[in-house]
Amino acid sequence: MIENRPWSRLLSHLILIIGVFIVALPVWVALVGSTQPEGSFNSGSIPLWFGDQGVQNWAHVLFAEAGSTLQIPVWHLLLNSLVMALGITIGKIAISIISAYAIVFFRFPFRSAIFWVIFMTLMLPVEVRIVPTYQVIANLDMLNSYSGLILPLIASATATFLFRQCFMSIPGELVEAARIDGAGPIRFFFDILLPMSRTNIAALFVIMFIYGWNQYLWPLIITTDDTYYTLVMSIKSMLSVPDGDIQWNYVMVTTLLAMLPPVAVVVGMQKLFVKGLVDAEK
Amino acid sequence: MTDLVLKNIGKTYPNGYQAIPSIDLSIEEGEFIVLVGPSGCGKSTLLRMVAGLETITQGDLLIKGNRVNDKEPADRDIAMVFQNYALYPHMTVRANMEYGLKNRGVSKDERHTKVMDVAQMLGLDELLDRRPGQLSGGQRQRVAMGRAMVRDPKVFLFDEPLSNLDAKLRVQMRVEIRQLQRKLATTTLYVTHDQVEAMTLADRLVVLNKGKAEQIGTPMELYDKPATTFVAEFIGSPSMNLFDAMLTERGIELSESLTLLMPHQYRGAIKWGIRPEHLLQSDEANGDFSLQVQAVESLGAETLIHGVLEDGTEQPKPIVVRLAGPHLPDIGSRMWLTAPLKHWHLFDATTQQRL
Ligand SMILES: Nc1ncnc2c1ncn2[C@@H]1O[C@H](COP(=O)(O)OP(=O)(O)OP(=O)(O)O)[C@@H](O)[C@H]1O
Ligand SMILES: [Mg+2]
Repeated sequence: MIENRPWSRLLSHLILIIGVFIVALPVWVALVGSTQPEGSFNSGSIPLWFGDQGVQNWAHVLFAEAGSTLQIPVWHLLLNSLVMALGITIGKIAISIISAYAIVFFRFPFRSAIFWVIFMTLMLPVEVRIVPTYQVIANLDMLNSYSGLILPLIASATATFLFRQCFMSIPGELVEAARIDGAGPIRFFFDILLPMSRTNIAALFVIMFIYGWNQYLWPLIITTDDTYYTLVMSIKSMLSVPDGDIQWNYVMVTTLLAMLPPVAVVVGMQKLFVKGLVDAEK
Repeated sequence: MTDLVLKNIGKTYPNGYQAIPSIDLSIEEGEFIVLVGPSGCGKSTLLRMVAGLETITQGDLLIKGNRVNDKEPADRDIAMVFQNYALYPHMTVRANMEYGLKNRGVSKDERHTKVMDVAQMLGLDELLDRRPGQLSGGQRQRVAMGRAMVRDPKVFLFDEPLSNLDAKLRVQMRVEIRQLQRKLATTTLYVTHDQVEAMTLADRLVVLNKGKAEQIGTPMELYDKPATTFVAEFIGSPSMNLFDAMLTERGIELSESLTLLMPHQYRGAIKWGIRPEHLLQSDEANGDFSLQVQAVESLGAETLIHGVLEDGTEQPKPIVVRLAGPHLPDIGSRMWLTAPLKHWHLFDATTQQRL
């Protein structure tokens, strides 16, 4: 139903504008705050217009040091976060697409049992298995390393399940046609299956990248060396200064920087995503 | 030379269901064989066993004299056209057609010439850079055929390739398939449940019933001399009128008051059959029997008259008559018919075999 009366249009626009305002206000405060001189937050009022320290703040945080207790520049934290998020995303997609491939297209003993075991790990996110996982990673000598950050988060029942559903919707005739065309398991995987599930891969990439980027607890636990700190977890440590003032202007810069990559991924992938949906010729 | 030999082929599915007890068939080079039968009779199963998509649980399959039971589909030198075309949705028409060649290591130039040749033959040259999603159903069907043809296989397999097309296109494609097959002279195994398709395409027809070959022969053999009541009813449209009867010294007794004269040495329960198109309109003096008209279907060039046989019993025995040209008898009226002796079909009532 499409209403076209002026009053309802006005009302709906009003609601939308209020929504945008509510969502955008904190971002605005962060943006403005990142340009203020040191200490302007401590006066009790929140500044709502730009200060004059923008360039200095951003340069300092990005290239010198993040401030408060962190002695490393934020570009290094950004890099760490990026390595972790990409590692988790690519690892998750690779592992789950391969396991879904095995589960859907190959007949081996205990196939469905294995699927249900994978499915049950849905009930075991990192937070639940954190102590034993820490133990394992410590024993493998992977504390303070990228592999330690990435590996425990790579297994994904959700993604496996999603790819399984996607593969099961591929008509059997297509698989048989490929068999007659002489495509072995490897060729079938790369020539037919991967291109056909590219929209799913794009969607998962977005979701998993944000999931990986926002990891907080796990990096907090296994990193003690600040060269492996990730951006999201260090914002917290920038706020916990034992004595003295919190450098809000630097915190705001870091926060904005932490927001940028996920936004970039969503915006960048959205195009591919929509394109994939539009000519989804199944 | 025999191209394709099925020796005592049988299929029992892993769940214990025996879809095909045993079938023997040998197919000559270039022959067009149509497998026809009602739904669930095992047509696809048989075809898929030949393709190698389904394991053969009994018997031997020979292609050009080599036993291929255990060979992968790709190594059997066959090509298959599926009911839903099974084109790769993310590939262009060209890529779809050359994918099989590519996997066989055919060089790029050779692939190109082969695809162009086939595309020209099928009128696909304009469409080579489109994706399947940008084609009509009929065009997709052609691409599916093209994909089978570029491989130049020893045997073509078709599983109801035309059943997703509209009636007009189906007729057109039917003719085209027949012409292409003649031209390429490739041995073909074609599955359908449409008996018009079966009759028009086949060099020889195999009528399947519950996994058994009821009769194998040319379309006209099956039409003129159906070996069983099943074939008699399956081939021909509308299907043959069949009545229970007793064969005695007096003739064929359809009921106590209706007997058709016929000298025959067989005695006992039979089924008497006559095709709707072989019944002739007659009058009371010359007619063999009469029917009471219940429904009339006018198709323009011909008229189908559905009625019940008036044989003096209460039991209604439906009968169909097919007359050329328009006829408009009143519903409930009586129509006299003659049944020429040369068109009678007699079957044993217990074995259902032709007498
Ligand atoms: N995987 C399977 N396991 C067990 N039984 C099966 C399997 N596939 C088919 N069947 C059975 O085998 C019989 C033959 O099936 P088939 O697909 O060959 O029929 P069909 O003649 O092709 O029918 P249609 O005209 O409907 O396509 C059917 O009774 C079917 O239920
Ligand atoms: Mg079938």
